[in-house]
Order: sequence, then structure tokens, then C-alpha cells
Amino acid sequence: MIEITLEVNGVSKTLQVEPRRLLADVLREEFRLSGVHIGCAHGACGCCTVHLDGTPRLSCLTFAAQCDGASIRTVESVGGPNAENTLQQAFKSEHGLQCGYCTPGFIMTLLPFVEEMVVQKRMPDDAEIREAMSGNICRCTGYHGIVAAVRKAVSTGLEAGA
Amino acid sequence: MKAEQPRHIGARIQRFEDIRLLSGSARYIDDIRLPDMLHLNFVRAETAHANIVEVDTSGLADLDYPTWVFTGKDTAGLSMKAHQDYPEMQYSEQPLLAEGKVRFVGEPVAVVLAEDAYKAEDAAELVFVDYDPLPVVGTMAQARDPESTPLFEGWNGNVIVQRQMKGGNLEAAKAQAAHVIRRTYRTQRQAGVPMECRGVVASFDTASRVLTVWSSTQMPHLVRTYISEELGLPESRIRVVAPDVGGGFGVKGQVFADEVLVAWLAMQTGRPVKWIEDRREHLIASIHARDHEHTLEAYVSADGRLLGLKADITVDNGAYSTFPFTSAGEPGMVGKVLPGPYDFQAYEATFRAVATNKCAIGTYRGVARPSAVFSQERLVDDIAAELGLDPIEFRLKNVVRQFPYRNVLGFTYDPGSYAEALEKIRELLADDIAEAAASRNSKTRRIGVGIACFIEQTAHGTPDFTRRRVPIETGYIAARVDMSPDAGVTIDLGLQNHGQGLETTMAQVAADALGIEPKDVFVRHGDTMTTPYSVGTWGSRGGPLGGGAVHVAATKIADKLRAIAGHLLQAKPDQIVLAEGKASVRDNPGSFIEIRRLARIAQRNVDQLPEGMTPGLEAHASVDGPADGSYANAVHAAVVEIDVETGKTKLRRFVVVEDCGTILNPLVVDGQVRGGVVQGIGSAMFEHFVYDSECQPLTTSFADYLMPLAPEIPDIEVHHIETPTPLTPLGAKGLGEGGAIGPAAAIANAVANALEIGVTNTPLNTDAVWKLARHIRGQA
Repeated sequence: MIEITLEVNGVSKTLQVEPRRLLADVLREEFRLSGVHIGCAHGACGCCTVHLDGTPRLSCLTFAAQCDGASIRTVESVGGPNAENTLQQAFKSEHGLQCGYCTPGFIMTLLPFVEEMVVQKRMPDDAEIREAMSGNICRCTGYHGIVAAVRKAVSTGLEAGA
Repeated sequence: MKAEQPRHIGARIQRFEDIRLLSGSARYIDDIRLPDMLHLNFVRAETAHANIVEVDTSGLADLDYPTWVFTGKDTAGLSMKAHQDYPEMQYSEQPLLAEGKVRFVGEPVAVVLAEDAYKAEDAAELVFVDYDPLPVVGTMAQARDPESTPLFEGWNGNVIVQRQMKGGNLEAAKAQAAHVIRRTYRTQRQAGVPMECRGVVASFDTASRVLTVWSSTQMPHLVRTYISEELGLPESRIRVVAPDVGGGFGVKGQVFADEVLVAWLAMQTGRPVKWIEDRREHLIASIHARDHEHTLEAYVSADGRLLGLKADITVDNGAYSTFPFTSAGEPGMVGKVLPGPYDFQAYEATFRAVATNKCAIGTYRGVARPSAVFSQERLVDDIAAELGLDPIEFRLKNVVRQFPYRNVLGFTYDPGSYAEALEKIRELLADDIAEAAASRNSKTRRIGVGIACFIEQTAHGTPDFTRRRVPIETGYIAARVDMSPDAGVTIDLGLQNHGQGLETTMAQVAADALGIEPKDVFVRHGDTMTTPYSVGTWGSRGGPLGGGAVHVAATKIADKLRAIAGHLLQAKPDQIVLAEGKASVRDNPGSFIEIRRLARIAQRNVDQLPEGMTPGLEAHASVDGPADGSYANAVHAAVVEIDVETGKTKLRRFVVVEDCGTILNPLVVDGQVRGGVVQGIGSAMFEHFVYDSECQPLTTSFADYLMPLAPEIPDIEVHHIETPTPLTPLGAKGLGEGGAIGPAAAIANAVANALEIGVTNTPLNTDAVWKLARHIRGQA
């Protein structure tokens, strides 16, 4: 067992974990964050994406023991229980989700991309948006609504910054 | 009949279910946690066909934590029985845990339970199974060889079932034909692969003697019935709950052996038991789909009229028959639907399912029709090419135009827009067709345009299943609608929502019938304790049958509200209009009473009710499918760009013209179509379950089983034609599956068009297209 301290969505906890224990399982079981979804457990689908010290990472390919002292954000922290973040709202208005299982992973992958585009003050083209989500699999939407949601979130961000 | 003035049906309303899904507060099967829960891990067959010599569990004794282990000896006699009631069918049963023999890699042989999921997985590795291998049956040809080793005792060969359907005079059609075109088409093994794997949690309460089973399923009531019959418990004491379900696509539309097993284990151990499938298990041992070979022979007149069609169909079913559609479902569906949208009156189909040492074939979005339409529409293009006709012209010449139409097998098609959809697609693709023709001069880069014109029988009802004699037996969907004293409405729906937007569309339907707002309607589903018995969500039935049931039930409540309002406003009930929260007298809008007030009177101030009226605002309704279903139609078009040197194929454009009758919510309809199309693109170009000659699966992770990712996919353009059907209460036809049916055919036709060569197989991945382009590169 290894003692680690994680700060997750603003809450710090010190716990004992087996070295092999996946970050995804620790977030789901010890922090009770049901928004962390496991789609493949081999790093190919992106469902389990969380932010580790600000960067999207696959929590199914990360051992919790590697994350001692890290700051972690999951979808629960993004827009609260009403999903009020601009990107979440854009997913809703553009029908960027159906069953919702891959959705938290997409949100966590695409949030930094949207923020970066707003900082750069530019609207990415569709190919660029599609490339940004190429590590995430959605089986329901055909990606169309997700691309539209990203466009809308960037455009909302650009308007707010203008 | 729709509401007098639909306000919400047809509106692009954003979905109510989105917030919990976006915020991370949805509850999927893996989020079910119970006190004292045991975690289950399967020991699965590593060889495809073998006698089990011994299952040695003695290694578990050395562990320093408690485990529970069960093998086929413990579950002896418990099995999945999925028989079609025809004498031609050779019966098979899948034991809950293998008894004496394994028949595919991944088949459950034993289970190990422990108090921690990691520990259960560790412990399962200590179970040693000794196998005595048997010869495998790995291909359709091997399975059809009468000398092959039968998979089941008492079987004669490995053809599970072979039957025929026919209509009209095929010999006469053949004699009359100027052209006979014969081709063989092959569609590969693939599956729905939802992003959430399957999973089951079960708990038995000894005090109430109630068994509760949570399962990631599309059909909770059927799971309840099967468990009841197999374990001998009354259905009244079994509650099956489908929590949020992370995609189904038909994969979760069957009852699985593990659902019965986990329930049984909860009773055996006296502890709640949880099993969460991992991705490897899902890819090798849940459900596969398609895997068809069709040999078609078309008889065509000199002037390009299709006179008749002869078909020979084989489906590689894998080892077991799945409940409730059976291994007869897939080939039978092809035989039934091959006539498609075309007007001809001579037909004969011979179809069979064969058993091999592979994962069982079950349902996946489109069920047999993506393969059937692939063959049908490839054949139509091959005929047009042989006759030197434009493929769209050939189709326009042969599609059904008069409705209702009785097809060669006696099925009646309700009104559709087959020719109109073809005309529309021709107009939309005109520039691409010209560009494709111009690219014929190039030896390096070719453009191709392909279309698929098809119909889809949706909303299958009881008569359809009675004909098929399969255990599904019926197809109705029920709803119970209840208006509370505060005028809020609850719908308890027999459908199960796993992405279709039913919590929104069903609220729209009820709101129109009752004159209230959709936001005031709460849709509950997926729990057998609260919802009326129904077959679940599959087979494109949600809109036409679920929507129909909600409409009929809500209308019963509306009639009662009108009666109360008429009594209070001194008007006849049929003069009362329910809209915008008010019950108003027609042509006298000043005379009204709020629906909220009526709801209270009906349940609290009951002294104000008309004399003799019973209190309460509750209604149940069920709607079954029409005798021959309702036929949605569509034309799909694909534009591909092929690099002749490498085979790299870019899908430049994909266009859909579809007709699903009345549209309940265009946001949801477009989403269903686009999602289906992209799954169909996966079928056409990427996805393939590969087995080696010993029936070892080679595609066991997402690194091998390739599904479409965003960069490969163009925007899917969707156009609608709305031909409401007279056969369902709202005029809606089913549309959940249609998107997935056309792409394999459209893309294959586009590749054939680009390369000027017949295409017979899917998937059309880079390697396959590179081989097809050989003649353009000038290679032999």
C-alpha cells in the first residue's frame, strides 16, 4: 500500500492505495465521482478523461499512485449539478450527446481546446475540431452535434471576450 | 389522430435528460453499490471447441481472503433456451456456465466472487481448466459440410435451420427475362459496441422474498419474465431495473445467460452480487452481428424491368441461439425484406443459419437489413451496369409508386415516398455525379457516387412475431399516464431510454394531448416495479408505438378533463379545448377553467365532479404494431474519393433523404439518423471481428476493432420527407435503425462507381479498396 494525497475538485484526501490501483477506480470509488466512466480500460476510447494538473489524461491508464500531490478535475467540477458551463450548454443545444456515457470524457478533452481557441481569438475549422476529439469515441451521435457544440462554445467565448 | 393543434409534437425541443448526463450525475450500472456486495469475475473458455476434462479450483484455498466459486456442475440444468417453433430447427441451449463442453472462446466456464473486484480478478486466474480439444467448425463451408463435428449432441450436421419463402411464379419470370444477373455478396461480422459495456447487479431480500436485478438492458420486462421462468420465482417478486444505459444498439436487446446467473448467485450466496463486463469480454463474448453471404439471381426484362429474384442466404450464427429472437431471426429477416422497395411479383428465398465455434449472432441496429440492403442495392447497381442504365433511372423505373402496395410475399406497404426520395437525391448529388464521371480519366484519383434506396419495416407487432414463431411473441408498448392534483404529469413508460430522447419526446406527446407544457411531464422508465409490461426499446418502435401509447393514455385523461370542465362551464365536453394550461369553451375563449384547477377537483375537491364520476386522473394504454408493421423509407448517398495508389478512401459527403412519417422532435430525429449513419459507415469501412482458423478471436480490443472516429466522418446531411402513416396513432413510423441500414450499400456502390468494378464484400477498408483498384494501376 502507498499513501497518497489527491486534491480532487477542491477536496483533499489522503488515502492508502495499492500500487496497481487505477486513478479511474479511485475517483469512482473513493471520491464517489460517477462522472468518471470507463469505456475500454485500455486507453483507446477517451471516456475516462479527467484533468490532471490542468491537462486531459486517461484515468484508466494512470495509476493513482503516480498522482500523489496532484490536482484533479472531473466533469462534476465543470458546471455544477446543472451543467452550466458554456460547452456543456452547447452540447445540450446542439444535441452533442445521446446516451451520455462518452460525454464527460468529451467535455474534459474539449474544454482546454475551446479555451485555447478563445485565447487565440479564432474559430477553428471543422477538421481541426474533429482532430481535437480524435482520441474519444462516441457511438451515438456520429460526432455531428459535438462538432457543432464546440463551434458554438467557441463562438460564445469569442463574443464574451469581444 | 394527433392533437387538434400540435404545438409540441414536431418542435425542436432540447432534451430534458441532458443535464444529468452532462453534469456527471447520471447513474449507470457500475454506479450501483450495495452493502456487503460481492464482485464477480468470469473464468472464460480459452479454446473454441473442447471437452472440459476438469475445472480445478483448489488454488483458491491458498488465498488469504474469502472467495466463492461456481462451475457448470453447480448451475447444471439452468440455461438459455431460445427456440423457433419450427420442426426444421435444431435446438441448442446455452448453459449458464459450460457443462462438459465449451463452444466458443469467451464462453463462461466458472465464476469467482470476492469482496473486492481486483481480488475477484486475481482469484479467477487461479482456476485451472483442462481442455480436450475438438475439431473446430470455423466457416460457413465447414458448417454446411455434413461431415463436420456437430456442436451439439444429437445434431445432424451444423445447419441450425433452413427454410424458404416464396411468392409468384419464378420460373415464368426467368423464362421471360432477357438478362439473368447472378452475384454473391458477403458482409462481415461486427457488432453494436456501445461505449458502456454490459453489467448486472442482483440482490435478494430474504424478508420480502423480492429479487432485485439491475441490468444494463433495453428490455427489463423480458429479463424479468425469463428469470422468473428459469429460476421458478413469481414475477411479482422480481424487480428488474435498467438504470441509465450507456448505449444499446440492439446488443443489450436480448436476455443474457449472465443476467440469470447473477440473479441466481445473489440467492445462492445471500449477498448482493455485481458483475461489470470489461471491454475484452464485451468484444468476444456478448453479441456479434451480421456475418452474411447472399447469392442473388435477378431476372430482368429487355427494357430494364425487374421481373423476379432468387436468393440463397447463409448466416454464420456462431455457437448459440439468443433469446428472444433466436438464430433463425437473422436469416429469416433477410428472406423477408429482400424484395425491398421494388415492384416485382416473383420471388424465392432459401435461408439458413449455421453453427460455428464463435460468439453468437444477435441483434444490432438494422437487424439483418444492413446486409440485405447491401446485397439488394449492390445487385441493383450491378444490373444497371450490365444493362448500361443509369442506376437512379433503373431504380425509378422499378420502385413501388402506388400505395398501399402488396408485395410478392403478401406484405402490405403503407404510403411512402420512394420515387420522390430518389428524385431528391439525384438533384442534391448532381454536381458530385458530374465530378465522378470526369474523374474516370484519372489513373491516380477517382471520385465515386453511390446510393442506397431502401425501406424498413418498423413497429413490428404481434402478428409479425406470431408468423416467426419466436419467443419474443409480442411487440406492444404500454404507457401509464397520471396527472397529479397539481396538474403535473407522470408517464410510466414501457420503453427504456438509452439515448433516444424519450424523456423529452414522450413529454411532448402527452403535453399536446393534455394542453400543458412538456416541462411539466416527468417520464419514468426502465423499472418493472413502476412501468407497465412491454417488450422494451428495440426495432424502431419508440415513436410509433410508445408515442402512440402515451397519446392514447393521455387522451383518456384529456377526455375526463373535458367532461369535468364541460360540467363546470356548462358546455358539452366536445366543445372544450385543452391548450396552454386552460380548458376553454371553443369559440368562447372568455369561458375557461385552468387545468390545474380541474386536476385538483378530480382528486381533492371531488364533490365538484359531475355526478357518478369516479375520482382520479390515471390511464393505461398499449399500442401494438400494425399487422405488417409500418414502412419507413430512405435514400442514402455517399461520395468517395479514392487514392488509387494507396487505396486510401475519403468519405467526402454523405446525404440522407428519409421519411419516417410524423416527426416528433427534429433534433432527436436528426440525431438518430446521423448516429445510425456513422455506425453504418463503420460497417462499410472499418469494423470487423476476425477469427483465425482455430476460431481464436483476433480483434479483442479497440486497437484491433476499429470504429469510426471524428476525423474520418463528414457532416451527415439530412433531408426529410414526411408521409404520415394511417397505421399508428400519431402517424409516426419508426426511425431508430434506418440510419445504419443504408451506408454499407451506398459506400460500396460509390467505390464500385469510382473504380468501375463490382464490389462484393465489406468492410471496404484501405487494403480492400487498394486491391479493388489494381486494374486501374495497371497491375494484373
